[in-house]
Amino acid sequence: MRRLLFVLGCVLVLASAGIGGTEGQIVPVARNLLYVHVPTAISALLCFIVLLMASIGYLATGRPAWDQTARAAAEVGFVFAILLNATGMLFARAEWNVWWTPSPRLVTSALLWFLYAVYLILRVSLPGVPHRTARICAVFGILAFLDVPLVFVSARFLPDIHRPSFSLASHWQTATLLLAMLGTALLAGVWMWWRTSLLCARLARGVDRGALGVPPYES
Amino acid sequence: MREIATQGDESSMALSLRSIGKAFGTKPVLKNIDLVLPRGQAVCLFGINGAGKSTLLRIAAGLLRPDTGAVTLDKYDIRVHAEAAKRRLGMISHASMAYPELTVHENLTFAARLYGVPDRAGRIEELLADTELASFRHERAAILSRGLLQRLAIARALLHRPAVLLADEPFTGLDAGASERLAAVFDRFVREGGTLLMTTHDARMGLRCCQRVAVLDGGMLRLDATKTRIDTDLFVGDYLSYARSSR
Amino acid sequence: MRGLWAILVKDMAVELRARQVLPTMVVLGMLIVFILRLAAEPIATGAGLRVFGVAALWIAFLFSGLLAQERSFAVEQQNGCMDGLLLAPLDRGTIYLAKLLGNVIVLTIFEAVVVPIVSVSFHLEVAGRWPALALVLLLGNAAISSVGTLFSAAVQLTRTRGSLLSIVVLAILMPMMIPACFALLVLCGALPEEVVGASTFAFVGSFRTAVGYLLAFDAVFVVAGWLLFGLIIDD
Repeated sequence: MRRLLFVLGCVLVLASAGIGGTEGQIVPVARNLLYVHVPTAISALLCFIVLLMASIGYLATGRPAWDQTARAAAEVGFVFAILLNATGMLFARAEWNVWWTPSPRLVTSALLWFLYAVYLILRVSLPGVPHRTARICAVFGILAFLDVPLVFVSARFLPDIHRPSFSLASHWQTATLLLAMLGTALLAGVWMWWRTSLLCARLARGVDRGALGVPPYES
Repeated sequence: MREIATQGDESSMALSLRSIGKAFGTKPVLKNIDLVLPRGQAVCLFGINGAGKSTLLRIAAGLLRPDTGAVTLDKYDIRVHAEAAKRRLGMISHASMAYPELTVHENLTFAARLYGVPDRAGRIEELLADTELASFRHERAAILSRGLLQRLAIARALLHRPAVLLADEPFTGLDAGASERLAAVFDRFVREGGTLLMTTHDARMGLRCCQRVAVLDGGMLRLDATKTRIDTDLFVGDYLSYARSSR
Repeated sequence: MRGLWAILVKDMAVELRARQVLPTMVVLGMLIVFILRLAAEPIATGAGLRVFGVAALWIAFLFSGLLAQERSFAVEQQNGCMDGLLLAPLDRGTIYLAKLLGNVIVLTIFEAVVVPIVSVSFHLEVAGRWPALALVLLLGNAAISSVGTLFSAAVQLTRTRGSLLSIVVLAILMPMMIPACFALLVLCGALPEEVVGASTFAFVGSFRTAVGYLLAFDAVFVVAGWLLFGLIIDD
């Protein structure tokens, strides 16, 4: 079932990128990239929301399953943040002739990646009892999330280098973009679900060796 | 051998540990421990290294969160009414809790401030005299020997007149004379109505200070009895086999 | 309140005795300023030098601040002093506030030393707007200290505590640096009072809103730290 959904997600994304509209001022190849770029941004944020919910869930209940969900969300979100920034950079190079520029939305995307990366490093660096690590990571997850709305919300309503040239002129384009969003959201969701159950199963068998395969530090 | 735990009504209990369970990861350390201490009783907890003595004391002090069960001091739960419970609690642990940069007197002043001890100066002098630290009052804790640091830790623990004293291996690092004087301090503390829960490897010293002994083995209480009910010679010889055979 | 004052006085006494933190911070800060000044030589006569000065200030505050924060719980690590604090009848949030206040004071003293040095070496002038400068520095100081103090306790048991603390704190503080840099750039005249259009600082808009953002960050971080600190130190 999960495998099927996963494949379906991949197909949707690739298909929408392939069939994306080719008219407009934007260089065609770069334009097709946007059908991946925009949905990845949404998925990366989706993972962040899951990370926040799972962190709160863990602090409220103390159940390891929440903690593993948070970890899975961070791992998947990390990958999506890489994709987001990479496609964004390719697009920026093709369209604006710069690899990166500190515009509000680009700063937000970079911040997202940094926060995921630090979360994952924090997870493997803290020694001692697992629930203490989980609690510290949950606190980081919450504080990191408090950062994002401030940046994201303000970025959403401000003039930006992201100009409105990417207009959804035709229904065809709208449909394609929605398809791609559905695809990536599906990918992110299934992947997190998959990873969470794997991590929980490992935890139950007592073979969790940390993210890098290193045995837990004996305290 | 568990008759003591059920004696007396709950309200007269100074310290009660109820069905305490704790695991580190998947390894259980304490399994459903019940230990109730009435006011004015001294209890010594025995056990080999890793038996969970320190863990139990840290849970009793509110420094460690138990997986199951609750700790109450004079009806105050240490997690729920932490402030009221902690006010009644003093602890001597492996560590001296003294800042090396500060002098003996400054360390005690700091502790007295934390607890809001009334008549700070007078109370500190009293304890400096009791623990024979008066001549070291202006020495920094960094240069104190192990034994002197231990005495400082004792002074710190008794500063706010706690009703319950937890002492984790209080005799380590003390010479015979100092051990005897510490035992006298404990005696007076208990005589004045204090409740003492201590751990030690030294069965002789433990029996010297306490009216009741308990043995932790494999995360459970193997033995919990008053001194009069056990064969002290056999117990001092090998408390673990004694506890195991007396089940 | 009682415990807060006791811990604060104790920490200051320890620092006065050991003299470990402030000298290290000042030397690190001066090294940062010095190295950036070397790199800025090609624009030594232009207005760009001021921009370098703003960068030097915030980098020096961030990294020197980390030294103080890392140290603030390291002193509790020796002889099990942290247990002593946790045994006391104090709310855990009080321990956090006391440590935070200590770190803010230390960083303020540091700022008082480093700001004149930066001002001289980068020709940084605020044209009489000293109160505004002091306000921005204090708000930045509080944000840096609040996040650092919260996670300092968390990283004490790790083998890489200093470096781990730095990435955690810098990642969380990254958005805060946008209004912080903006405000200083406005004060030294490198940016107009209001910025419109498609720039990073369109995020911020004007000096007023920059101060507003800094206040919002401070409020969020201090309250979150006060509430969440207990969870971090609980075993």
